[in-house]
Amino acid sequence: MKGRKMRARSAKVIKQALIYLAVLLVALVVLMPYAWMVSGSFKETLELQSSDVTVEHLKPSWIPRNPTLRNYREVNQTVPMLRYFKNSIIISLGTMVACTVIALPAAYALSRFNFRGRGVYTVSVLATQMLPGILFLIPYYLIFTTITRHTGIPLRDTYGGMIFTYTSFALPFSIVMLRSYLNGIPLEIDEQAMIDGCTRLRALWTVIVPLATPGIAAVAIYAFIMAWNEVLFASVLTGRSTRTVAVGIMDYVTATGANWGGMMAACIVISIPVLILFTSMQRYIVEGLIAGATKG
Amino acid sequence: MKRLSGWSRRKHATAYWMILPAVVAMLLVHYIPMLWGFYISAHDVNIFTMVNWINAPFVGFRNFIDGLNPATTTGARALRSLVNITVYSIVAIGAGYVIGLAVAILLNQNFRGRTLMRGLILLPYITPDSVAYNVWKFIFQSRIGLLNRYLIQWNLVSEPPIWLIGPPALWSVTIASIWKGWPFAALILLAALQKIPQELYEAARVDGATAWQQFTMITMPQLRTVSVMQILMSILWNFNAFNQFYIMLGRDPGIAAEVPSTLILREAFTNLKYGIGSALSIVLMLILLVITTVYLIALRGTAGAEEM
Repeated sequence: MKGRKMRARSAKVIKQALIYLAVLLVALVVLMPYAWMVSGSFKETLELQSSDVTVEHLKPSWIPRNPTLRNYREVNQTVPMLRYFKNSIIISLGTMVACTVIALPAAYALSRFNFRGRGVYTVSVLATQMLPGILFLIPYYLIFTTITRHTGIPLRDTYGGMIFTYTSFALPFSIVMLRSYLNGIPLEIDEQAMIDGCTRLRALWTVIVPLATPGIAAVAIYAFIMAWNEVLFASVLTGRSTRTVAVGIMDYVTATGANWGGMMAACIVISIPVLILFTSMQRYIVEGLIAGATKG
Repeated sequence: MKRLSGWSRRKHATAYWMILPAVVAMLLVHYIPMLWGFYISAHDVNIFTMVNWINAPFVGFRNFIDGLNPATTTGARALRSLVNITVYSIVAIGAGYVIGLAVAILLNQNFRGRTLMRGLILLPYITPDSVAYNVWKFIFQSRIGLLNRYLIQWNLVSEPPIWLIGPPALWSVTIASIWKGWPFAALILLAALQKIPQELYEAARVDGATAWQQFTMITMPQLRTVSVMQILMSILWNFNAFNQFYIMLGRDPGIAAEVPSTLILREAFTNLKYGIGSALSIVLMLILLVITTVYLIALRGTAGAEEM
């Protein structure tokens, strides 16, 4: 009897040890590239350029030989990183506001009304998710150029054009995410407000919006992050005056020169807004993602 | 009766007004460009005709035929890009799912620091593509890269391999994508694992089921719906993959690592053959449509068999 208990206990200890070992492995794999990024951002250009995996004393090391803040101080020197940063902030904030303002009523309508075309609309929202971005890009680009030529309104390489583009791309998923959040708010609450003399829109604004704040914030952050990270459209539609960080960061390493230290420092700088936003609303975004992916 | 329908009509009018801005935005960015995309694919829109592309000469299916003709450079590359993206997708989706599932099961166990780990694994997912893939590009550098340092230190190779040019480039990108992709699978699968009723496992243990039997008879069937969705989304994302190839390998990844998105981008915006670019992007869309349809039908078939 006693022996069996002991064996069960040691099996449990071994299981716990294996779990911690596996957890450690996962943490290592996840963190390794970040550690390398941070380490690289503190290395001198000379150290990076002269490092060589085949030479024992020159092989790239985790600890910078002469740690320096130069890469951060000079992040804007060879590449106009601060300008890219400003462009990204303007475009992402614009996308965030526009996307939330448009998605909220649409999601509310999908959640509360059983109107004709609701099914078709929901399917068309989801269908856009599966189409290759490149499919839209070519006609989109040609339409932009044609509109500009005929009306004189510049669209390519303008904040307005980029905000419009990203808003429309963030919309489908935002609407799905917000709808599933609104579905969790009981109908009686709107009805009560309307009995008390509110119009639909007023009920939405005064009663539903405060209740749905977490869902709305999650959508807003999703839109911001999506615009902040987008590469394909930015690589074609942005130019000198609107280049975003996601594309601009590639300027550090080109055919003519590789400033890896500067690039790693810039990587850290442009990750910060995303990390702050995401951690502040992590719970809601994760819920929204799961709902969007599974209830879709 | 009449009053009631009047009411509901008014209610519906409100619904349409509320949804209108979203519909307009999606029409302008998704559906109208898509229709023009079909138009462009059937017209000879190139550097000479692009100024007045609406009046470019009609060429029928010529762009499709030229774009997929293995005798031409573009055609050969297009066919190769479809092979590459298929290989890449199968490996990335398979590895992403298996790692995601394993980590989800791990994080569903009891251990100290579990909440911290659940947050930690989201890091790769939320890191911007341009950051993650540039760091991986740095790791894969031949002379100054972290990977080659260890390969040489552990005597696995004598000469530092060049990872980002030629055939190894595809695998380098695949590894980076797996690193970035599995947390999403883990996140979704973990949420589903937590919803499995514990009584199922208790009943199985009473019946003397081994851990493996519990896994195959309870866990996997319970995860089925979520897995189908997760893999479906991975198929869509991976077949359309662009960022990782563009960031790690540049505008021209070389034929061995060419994928449809990079080829189409170059064909349209470097070679200025918009017609062929559009045609190829429609081919990509159709292939995706076929794959997802076959996938869903095949799974519906097995689901029916299980129920019987």
